[in-house]
Amino acid sequence: MVSTPRERKWQMVVDMDRCTGCQACVVACQVENNIPINSESHYQQGRAMQWIRIERYWEGEFPNVKARFIPFLCQQCNNAPCEPVCPVFATYHNNEGLNVQVYNRCVGTRFCANNCPYHARSFNFWEPVWPEAMRNQLNPDVTVRSRGIMEKCTFCIQRIRRAELDAKREGREVRDGDFQPACAQACPTSALVFGDSKDPASRVNEAAKSSRRFRLREELGTEPNVIYLSKVDPEARGAAGHA
Amino acid sequence: MKTSRRKFLQWSGIGALGAVVFSGCGIPEKELLVQSPALIPEDLVSGLEAWYATSCGQCAVGEGIIVRVIEGRAIKIEGNPDHPISRGKSSAQCQAGLQALYNPQRLAAPMKLRGARGSGDYEEISWEAALSEVAELLKGQAPASVVLLTEPLRGSLGMVARTFMEAYGGQHLGYEALEQTTLRVALKQVFGADQLPDFDIDHADFVLSFGSDFLSSWLSPVRFNRGYGEFRQGGNTRGALVQVESRFSMTAANADRWVYVRPGREGEVALSVAYVLLAEHSERLDPAAANILTRGRGAAALEAFRPEAVAASTGVSEEQIKELAKALAEHQRPLVIGGGSAGAGTNGLSNLEAIYALDSLLGVLGKSGGVLFSPGAPVDGLPAAPKVGSFADWQALADRMRGGGVKVALVHGANPVYGLPADLGFGDALGRAEVVVSFSSFMDETTALADYILPDHVYLEAWGDDIPEPGPGYQVVTFQQPVVKPLVNTAAFADSLLGLARRIGGKVDQAFPKTWATMKDVLRDTARKLQAQGRGSVQAASFDAFWNTVLQRGGWWDVNRKGATPGLSPIRLPASPVEPQFAGPGAGGFYLVPFASHSLGDGKGANLPWLQATPDPVTTATWQTWVEINSRPAEAMGIKVGDELEISSPRGVLRALAYPHPGVSPEVVCIPTGQGHTHYGDYEVGPDLYRIRVARDRGANVLSVVAPSQVDGTGALAWASTRVSVRKTGAFYRLPRLEGPVFADFRAVEEHVPLSTA
Repeated sequence: MVSTPRERKWQMVVDMDRCTGCQACVVACQVENNIPINSESHYQQGRAMQWIRIERYWEGEFPNVKARFIPFLCQQCNNAPCEPVCPVFATYHNNEGLNVQVYNRCVGTRFCANNCPYHARSFNFWEPVWPEAMRNQLNPDVTVRSRGIMEKCTFCIQRIRRAELDAKREGREVRDGDFQPACAQACPTSALVFGDSKDPASRVNEAAKSSRRFRLREELGTEPNVIYLSKVDPEARGAAGHA
Repeated sequence: MKTSRRKFLQWSGIGALGAVVFSGCGIPEKELLVQSPALIPEDLVSGLEAWYATSCGQCAVGEGIIVRVIEGRAIKIEGNPDHPISRGKSSAQCQAGLQALYNPQRLAAPMKLRGARGSGDYEEISWEAALSEVAELLKGQAPASVVLLTEPLRGSLGMVARTFMEAYGGQHLGYEALEQTTLRVALKQVFGADQLPDFDIDHADFVLSFGSDFLSSWLSPVRFNRGYGEFRQGGNTRGALVQVESRFSMTAANADRWVYVRPGREGEVALSVAYVLLAEHSERLDPAAANILTRGRGAAALEAFRPEAVAASTGVSEEQIKELAKALAEHQRPLVIGGGSAGAGTNGLSNLEAIYALDSLLGVLGKSGGVLFSPGAPVDGLPAAPKVGSFADWQALADRMRGGGVKVALVHGANPVYGLPADLGFGDALGRAEVVVSFSSFMDETTALADYILPDHVYLEAWGDDIPEPGPGYQVVTFQQPVVKPLVNTAAFADSLLGLARRIGGKVDQAFPKTWATMKDVLRDTARKLQAQGRGSVQAASFDAFWNTVLQRGGWWDVNRKGATPGLSPIRLPASPVEPQFAGPGAGGFYLVPFASHSLGDGKGANLPWLQATPDPVTTATWQTWVEINSRPAEAMGIKVGDELEISSPRGVLRALAYPHPGVSPEVVCIPTGQGHTHYGDYEVGPDLYRIRVARDRGANVLSVVAPSQVDGTGALAWASTRVSVRKTGAFYRLPRLEGPVFADFRAVEEHVPLSTA
């Protein structure tokens, strides 16, 4: 009989007080997940494909101006609005808290993207192409999605699987820090912390206890598994009170 | 034990794997089993992965990286968790290195010019022929008429290049793309240290930064970002950051407060802060430093820099200056950093001296949270600080070339034809050399003028080592090993030099030990010398054990061998402001503040699609050259995002796309470096309908309008001393950028916690 591993639930904490908007996570994700090269047209048509992206917005005007950065990725909602609308069950919830996309079921209705309040999903409007030599770099653990397929952040499920298989082979539980998604591993300021929220000793649990914690659009009841820690700004204008 | 239905199905699914995989199609419940690819290994092909530690060649720092290799292909780069600089972290540039390795535009074999120079008509030749012909050329020349132009070289490669040119007799000039000459001179004047030190942001509690965009492009961004994370949330108190800069940079965006200062006036602000410190907080200062810097006169020596006296010229208010001084005095571990645009006016040296004098005054040298100095190389003869030519040296070289004084130019790792101001005409000057030999891995603007191309490996295919600069405050040697076999018919630059030396013979050949056939031999010699020291992170009785471990760990370091903190240098602060000089229109014009592109850097990254497609943090713009201009003057001139602007200075004209935003001063326009290539990145990417060239003929090179003024006293390029006029051409191009109105409503969700409750 195969022993059943402990129940797992993956979460990420994004500390916006550490985030500098440096884009290391964005490129790391592109490299790891075989995301098509975003050419000019992707950006010009608002169709850039980034599983994690850094949104920037302005507050105030010169000279009292602030630019704010928020990293956005799939929030891996517990109550994911993208799931019930998929007519072919291409997007579903797995038992580790992940909202998963089955590429070869997807027929490209884009209902899920339409329903996602976080704009976390990217659609392959074009067949992805790489110069021949650059195809050598593609990660063999990750499918290349073709035109007409919806895709999004998977919390680097290929790394999760590898870590779980390694742990199983060695007859142990997955340990905190055995692996990280590409974004968190690259992040030079350690703004992204990833781990298993069911592991009481995990770093992600520790980080999520912060008093600065909030979740994006919590009022929608989506129960995201990405927890944000708000930026500290001693000079914030009209800052919301936050216990 | 109670078994749920779900558990039962999982188990039965796993148990059924072997025999019933293809027979279960008709059972609806079976569908549920697909629910977790994490647990069902039926479709999992988990290839064997190998990780190799090596050194990153994407920027000048010398960070340690680890590379994931599957079946001989490099798949992913991560920071080396053991390495003192990267500590497992990486930047967008580090990550994108694989596209340099697998670049379609790599030069695939040694080549000799067949047609006219610049025609791009080359014939492939063998390595033997290439090395013999170049060696013959060098033999027949007067050594003084030969120059070797390289990137700043450290470590064993630096040693090989230096030995070669010293034995041969020609000039060796280092080309630093983002020139730090002024910073080096200022640090030497103020601290007496001939190195770029480490700034221990991690442990500071207040950082005052003048012009240095250290989170984006300045010196060692990965290391500084790592420190910044700890600075903000790593300790018990949150560090505060104030950025005094003429551009609203990424660092300014992350600062608690950004203070706009007129270009070239940073030194006045620093001296005014010093005045307030001396006058009102003298108990907080290092008395010895205060004594030396003011010749014992205290605040009176800086009378000319009273806050009320400099407010008008600098654009920084009296209250602001007093607050900055107060903050420096009240914090336990303050730190002052300066560089970038603060050192790029004609008075850049005096600016940086004034800025770093604050560190001396506050007594933070060699202290935790202060300025840390690294010791020299652990092995004699291994260059720890690179030999770098200043802009003045390059001007002199261009003049010498025009006068026919240079017959043969050897170029490696540098692209001066692109990277020096167009006004200098370096391309024309280089064209006067009889023979140009390029060792570049890619076709670029300089290589386009080559008669011989002896292409180098990409760093992921080559042996090497590096001594990171800035170092971490102790001795480090990063080791570089090939992680994949060379993809094309290239040879390591060091091997080419050694091959040339053998063929030239005589004293050039004799300068190298007989055992040095390739770079690997040189490196093993370096490793032997390190092993003989018997200290540091890797120690072993046998050389093989030492060699293997040092390659496995990605380097050698000794945390106990720290750099000495230099004594105080007897510099004196100026008694009156040193005025910056500007070329270009006065009234009606704008200050031009060029800045290093966050992803493309000096332009070296422009041939990598990942970096071209990386949004600039502040503007979110990609793939193009844009002009940052304040929204108000833009509105008055009818300029909207994507309008083509003509930027004119007395030295040139460029066209780029407007990006008006509220964060730039109305007196200033800012333009990134990195685009405007004429030969580099000449291949296409993108979906079939929208194929685009990666770098060639894309955007504009901001150096085409920069006046070739020098920073007084250092000979560096004063790249922030040009004024320009701005005109709308009427053309429009949709600026490719990430931001769009669709995400605007998210701004409500982020909350800012005032410091008191954090």
